Amino acid sequence: MKIHFKVNGTPTEVEAQADEMLLEVLRRELDLRSVRATCGIGICGACTALVDGEPISTCIFLAPLAEGCEITTVEGLSGDHPVQRAFEEEHAFQCGYCTPGMILTARSFLEENPAPSDEEIKVALGGNLCRCGCYVKIIRAVKKAARG
Amino acid sequence: MSRNIPQWLAPTSLQEALALRAQLGDEATVVAGGTFIGILMNQKIMQPQALLSLRNVSELAFIEASQDEGSSLRIGAMTTHRAVERTSLIHQEWPVLASTFSLVASPRVRNQATVGGVLADADYASDPPTLLQALNARVVVRSEKSEREIPVEELIIGYYETSLRPDELLVEVRVPRNRERVVYRKFRSRSSEDRPCVAVAAAQVDGKLRVVVGAVAEKPQYFPEICALAEGETGGYTRELVTEIGQRYAESIEPISDSRGSAAYRRRVIAVEVRRALEEMVP
Amino acid sequence: MSNPRVTGAIRYAQDVEFEGMLHASILRSPYPHARILRVDASAVPDSVVVLTPDDIGDFGSYGCQIQDQTVLPRERVRFVGDPVVAVAAPTKREADEALNLIDVEYERLPGVFDAVEAVAEGAPLVHEHHAISENDAAYFGIRPQEGTNICHRFRIRHGDMEEGFKQADVVVEETYRTPGAQHAAMEPHASVARWQDGRLEIWTGTQTLFNLRMDLAGIFNIPESQIRIISPPMGGAFGAKTFVRTEAIAACLAQKAGRPVKVVLSRYEEWLTLNRHPATLQVKLGARADGTLVAKRVVCWVDTGAYADCGPGVAQKMGYAAVGPYRIPQVWVDSLCVYTNLPPNGAFRGYGAMQAVWASERTMDVLAAKLGMDPLELRLKNVLVDGDQFCTGEIMHDVHFIECLHAAAGTIGWADNKQGKGLCVLMKGMQTPSRASIVVEANDDGGYTVHCATAEMGQGAWYSIRLMAAELLGVELEKVHYAEPDTDLAPYDTRTTSSRSTYMMGRALVEAVRDLKRKGELGYGECVNKGGLDPDTGQGIASTHWHQGAAAAEVRVDEETGKFQVLKLYTSIYAGHVVNRPGAELQNEGSMIMGLGTTLFEEIAFEDGQPANANLSDYNLPAAGDLPESFTSDLFEREGAEVHGLGETALPPVPPAIGNALYSLGIHVTDLPLSAEKVLNAIDSRQQAKGGRT
Repeated sequence: MKIHFKVNGTPTEVEAQADEMLLEVLRRELDLRSVRATCGIGICGACTALVDGEPISTCIFLAPLAEGCEITTVEGLSGDHPVQRAFEEEHAFQCGYCTPGMILTARSFLEENPAPSDEEIKVALGGNLCRCGCYVKIIRAVKKAARG
Repeated sequence: MSRNIPQWLAPTSLQEALALRAQLGDEATVVAGGTFIGILMNQKIMQPQALLSLRNVSELAFIEASQDEGSSLRIGAMTTHRAVERTSLIHQEWPVLASTFSLVASPRVRNQATVGGVLADADYASDPPTLLQALNARVVVRSEKSEREIPVEELIIGYYETSLRPDELLVEVRVPRNRERVVYRKFRSRSSEDRPCVAVAAAQVDGKLRVVVGAVAEKPQYFPEICALAEGETGGYTRELVTEIGQRYAESIEPISDSRGSAAYRRRVIAVEVRRALEEMVP
Repeated sequence: MSNPRVTGAIRYAQDVEFEGMLHASILRSPYPHARILRVDASAVPDSVVVLTPDDIGDFGSYGCQIQDQTVLPRERVRFVGDPVVAVAAPTKREADEALNLIDVEYERLPGVFDAVEAVAEGAPLVHEHHAISENDAAYFGIRPQEGTNICHRFRIRHGDMEEGFKQADVVVEETYRTPGAQHAAMEPHASVARWQDGRLEIWTGTQTLFNLRMDLAGIFNIPESQIRIISPPMGGAFGAKTFVRTEAIAACLAQKAGRPVKVVLSRYEEWLTLNRHPATLQVKLGARADGTLVAKRVVCWVDTGAYADCGPGVAQKMGYAAVGPYRIPQVWVDSLCVYTNLPPNGAFRGYGAMQAVWASERTMDVLAAKLGMDPLELRLKNVLVDGDQFCTGEIMHDVHFIECLHAAAGTIGWADNKQGKGLCVLMKGMQTPSRASIVVEANDDGGYTVHCATAEMGQGAWYSIRLMAAELLGVELEKVHYAEPDTDLAPYDTRTTSSRSTYMMGRALVEAVRDLKRKGELGYGECVNKGGLDPDTGQGIASTHWHQGAAAAEVRVDEETGKFQVLKLYTSIYAGHVVNRPGAELQNEGSMIMGLGTTLFEEIAFEDGQPANANLSDYNLPAAGDLPESFTSDLFEREGAEVHGLGETALPPVPPAIGNALYSLGIHVTDLPLSAEKVLNAIDSRQQAKGGRT
């Protein structure tokens, strides 16, 4: 079936099957590799994309549900977005696999809560797992992005 | 290679959706938010023949409460957890409802998962059904030809099992106004992101104590006869009373064992957490 | 220019694409031990390439230390998840569906799922014979015990055990158990294989390019020069991406298909691929009344699963790490690497040190309690200093255990009050012997390219090596490029494990730059790290230098539920010389957080050999909210010191520091993880011992 949505600002039409998840479609049809398969159950956040501005686990989001939506992945950020800049300056990553999910979740969170406490950041990012264990610097990066 | 790619059905009205339910029954899997179905499909536990999406049935996404005394909060089945968490009306008047929905999983799941879906899934470890049952909430279930309103405890009847018939849809949740001293405790035995090991919801509804324990058995556990021990305790619950209610709940439940705790451990925690919930209720 | 991890531009092995590439799926054994009677893949369509046990007859066996594996099992499956049939199809979906069309008939055999039981009389044998591998990862004398499930036994014989315990005024003895755990790197294993003119090329996330190449050469019976391994950056590894994992299956399928083949594991398959060694450790420790340690006896049963992988090496490291950084005149250790019918266990951050330090450091506190001595004082009294001899006979140098301990005790306020607080000190070895070599090439544009087999798994090795090269060459960092590790271009390196790369490659770089300055276009340098232990006596050089540190923890316990909070967690780690400070801090913090997971909730629950919690909901990983309120670490350096690797050191001391904190409250738990239930049970025991009600 054909699914129509906007991806990183560009109106797009993709071919997908009704039982495919948005994750597979974004990677295969649009070569967007920042969304990654990891847990398959929506727990870890490595597949995060913003759908109509809100973080969604694309690995458990049936592709047809994206019809008419606006999807943002990290490829749609400038590379110099304040959150990205803060992550670089604070060295808030190691292997990078979870990083796009962290960045998008942080961006969405800061739009709602521009001056968060450490506790609030931990709760907001609690659903984004980082096995490398970069949480200390990630929290610092989010605070820096909030200030800047 | 023979593989059935399921049909995607996307009705745009409730009437259309109910007609499809009448026509197809369980041959079409209902998709509300789709989180649970996504998980089951990724694990290859479920391979639906058809998918019936309620996404475009906008009449199912609403939150309403009239000012009339005695009138309920009405939440449409397609309302997301996130909407419940954020809506100021619910924050102000049913704050524990808002906070309990905010405890579910992660923001991503809450953006996608719905109030109707979490009830229809009847997942034993989900938070909202336990609280809704303690609040004496009722669900509205419709088919093409009929409508019925049933309490949550009549909806959820077993492990991932509801009393919904193949031609029915859960369309609305109604939460009573006349409730006081609502408490929800989510005891996690491991990570801060873990699902609950023991969950306790307690509320006074129409002056009567309702304690519901979730995440420990196939469905939320409620014992009105034990709660009746609190009847007539106008001054507040004594230490002896809350301890006894906790003990009796622990003795009355046959807990399961899972990755979050053994049955024996759950028994210990049930007694403690029920008591603590009741202690929290006392002003 | 933004870092590709932050822009999403980074590409992992799973992102490698080739025209006409096929996708693989693997049909795995549902039984822990069974004979394969019949494989029927006749219903699979022709568009799908199938590899069955019948197809692998000509392929050689492999194994980095014991040669006990074949690409698919020849006649018998030995663990739940053992690959039996592999297929490759144009899409992953078709490959998955093809598995449903394959019928396999098994005859079940009895299995064994615990290392202690597997050593007992009458235990079913997982392998009848144990052949020592010729892979250069079998770098020490291996001692398989034919006719048993013991594929290696490591011994330390230092002094006279009987005499030693006779001199002891106080003796304590405890048994500890640590469960299996999953590395759970965010990126699953992925390999892409293709054959070009008889030459095998594999893009795979691997820490061990040269060991892998050697094993594959043996499998296909071709010279190593006919194999090329390229290792793209990995999304984490922690030891999981070592030796042969998905590469052999990808290569065999690619050979049969005549097309490139990609293998990417699902999250569930990660629990069936490589895990951490469960272990049982028995520790007997004797001291004089004044706290002087006189004798230590340790027995380790190390569960290596159905295939040895580097289990012998882990058993060896666990064996000497279990002695601890102490002067003890009589030390006997027996560390047995044992087969069971569980999925294979292998390298896992810490490499045996976690299990050993848990047992050793908890015993120190048990001894302190029996002596009526402060656990800090007991450690300070016995800890090794420069010039002391370790139980392997080697002389310690550049050791700072006392400083680390004082820093840990100070941070936790040990002097004020010890209730709910615990300490730990550890030493861990670095892969010895080993060899690292590196090439630096001068480019036409005035820049340089470094060719090095050190793999990038998030630890920042490429960045550190570039920093060191830039400094040696006297140029800005931007002028130094690091080529993706490629065995066609990079010279030999033992492997990227054991926290050795910054140190070893740093030294090789010095030589390479010197050589480049002499020659002009290309410089080669190498660093050889000599040593090793006699497996029968444990004497020799375990490590040319030591990874050292201490940890302190403070806990608050909810005694009604056993759930406890770690209020404070601190580590003090000796770094020698830090090349990249933010990177070093990240490694330290990451190790501590992984240590928290091990301590609080990580364990693989096996039921008759089947991992019962093989998903990230049932198996918890530490999340941001699990950070203790106070979570700090110090890395300290010394003028003129060598780089000391930091990739693992801060993991092993975390469990004992927390376990000892609980012990200070009379809560004695010997088995990891420290679940709320175990704590509650220990509280019940404490109450009973006091004669009180629970």
